[in-house]
Amino acid sequence: MNLSLESLRPCLDGAIPAVVATSALDGTPNVAYASQVHYVDAEHVALSYQFFSKTRENVLAHPYAQVQVVEPGSFRHFRLKLHYMRTETEGPLFEYMKAQLAGIATQTHMDKVFVLRGADIYRVLDIESVDPHIPPPPPPSDALLSLRRTLDRLGDTTDLSDLADRGLAALTAGFGIRHALLLMLDEAGAALYTLGSLGYPDSGIGAEVKVGEGLIGVAARERIPIRINYRTGDYAYQTAMRATHATEPRIPLPVLANPHSRIAVPLIHGGRLLGVLYAESEHDAFFSHADEDALVVYARHLAALVAQAACEPDDAEPAHDEPATRPTGAPLAVRYFAADHSVFIDNDYLIKGVAGSILWTLLNEHARNGRRDFCNRELRRDPRLPLPDFGDNLETRLILLQRRLAERCPTIALEKTGRGRFRLNIGRPLQLSA
Amino acid sequence: MSVQLTVEQTAFLQGPLSMNVGAVGRDGWPCVCRAQGVMVARDRQALTVLLSASRGRAVIDALDAGSGITLVVSRPSTHATLQLKASAATRATTGAAQRACSARCVAAFADELKGLGYGAGLEQALAALLPTDDLVALRFAPEIVFDQTPGPDAGRVLAHA
Repeated sequence: MNLSLESLRPCLDGAIPAVVATSALDGTPNVAYASQVHYVDAEHVALSYQFFSKTRENVLAHPYAQVQVVEPGSFRHFRLKLHYMRTETEGPLFEYMKAQLAGIATQTHMDKVFVLRGADIYRVLDIESVDPHIPPPPPPSDALLSLRRTLDRLGDTTDLSDLADRGLAALTAGFGIRHALLLMLDEAGAALYTLGSLGYPDSGIGAEVKVGEGLIGVAARERIPIRINYRTGDYAYQTAMRATHATEPRIPLPVLANPHSRIAVPLIHGGRLLGVLYAESEHDAFFSHADEDALVVYARHLAALVAQAACEPDDAEPAHDEPATRPTGAPLAVRYFAADHSVFIDNDYLIKGVAGSILWTLLNEHARNGRRDFCNRELRRDPRLPLPDFGDNLETRLILLQRRLAERCPTIALEKTGRGRFRLNIGRPLQLSA
Repeated sequence: MSVQLTVEQTAFLQGPLSMNVGAVGRDGWPCVCRAQGVMVARDRQALTVLLSASRGRAVIDALDAGSGITLVVSRPSTHATLQLKASAATRATTGAAQRACSARCVAAFADELKGLGYGAGLEQALAALLPTDDLVALRFAPEIVFDQTPGPDAGRVLAHA
């Protein structure tokens, strides 16, 4: 096998349908279209199993097949000799193929027909170039160079807030990505919340996605990157996210209404899932296999920086409470609901969960004794806050709160005064009620 | 015994189609090759399918060695797909008519794909990929015809000898 399977990855994105030839036990040939020929590793591909077909009947009895795939751009054909190994009906590979098949199905207007029942794994025994005289298409953009540019732009920072902004902005310089989100896993590991966003009219800071929900949630649950190259209604967030009602306030996720390409990459460090990096585009096939590789590396780098930032020690110097000028004007009505720690300002939803609880604690401290300066260490120890034993999410929650306040209620602001230290600035009198 | 294709099936076979021919080699390996033209006999009981000799070497060798043949044709814009099978195929002569048929089928296929947004330069690319200078014609009388349109009904027998 002179050709590598890696070099054929552009043929394995579902842009041009593949065909699969099999043989019945009596030697009768069969040819069928394969919705999806998925690159598994350097020696294996997986074919989607959607219906019990003649192809499937044949390979279960006589486990040999030939698949013909076509390269987009050049239309060069390649034929792969395959040996059927097994079928997977759950797990990361299955979930990845299910997500990708949803994209292919919509692209081909077959979204009511294509439902994945299994991922049939085949070992690739041989690859034949059918059209060696046809020149290859122009090379795609160099993903390694894109990665390097992105890392150059990201630079070196141990400040989480800075990291969230620069980590996303750097994607434009490197990969031409214009729409992206950075989401962090919450303390319970049940949901992800948006810490940073790039390129949306509403920032969506604080918007949540349940683990397992949509493309981002599935990528988090399975801890795998998932890339969809075509528009699909599956894995959409819009419907769920717009279902806002009074009893369960939600911040809408600011994603594109009809993205044509999407990728979600988990942030994993030291075996722990920290969050998900998500990017999308209005263009079909925007993210290549190589882009996926590069973004996986980038997400690991980001995860390492996030973990490092969380370990940085707080400043030792105690903060000095500076006298505040007494706020004037009409009072702001701040209402707190203990059930979900949600906070409403003048009846508008602001935030909930850990961040809501932190804000309520700070405002009460301020109302009780006029305190404005706080440090992370005391918050970690505060029994009123629903924080887990490990405290590395506190910093991201404070950034989330700071950003949400800046967007929705700049009258109340959190100002960073040092590492692990911040000041509460209040521009109007507050009327607290719970 | 062969089946007689319906008028509708015959018309479908003359439309803009993606065509692939399959066979099974002596070693038991299935093989496939893109076809580049199909002609239906006047009595609608036989077909001639056109392949490039160089691109379809394995399929042609398998058929020469007595393999059964399968032809799958699909219209890209609708996904309507037929599969026709026979227990054998024989070589037929190629000439100007077959070359003209191949050129016409490839151009129609390219035109169909262009309408689906597969990009400019497609006609030239497919013409270069599927030239008419080394055509092999394979004639067979279909014994069974399947509806192979993707979906749960794929594989339904439409006609059986």
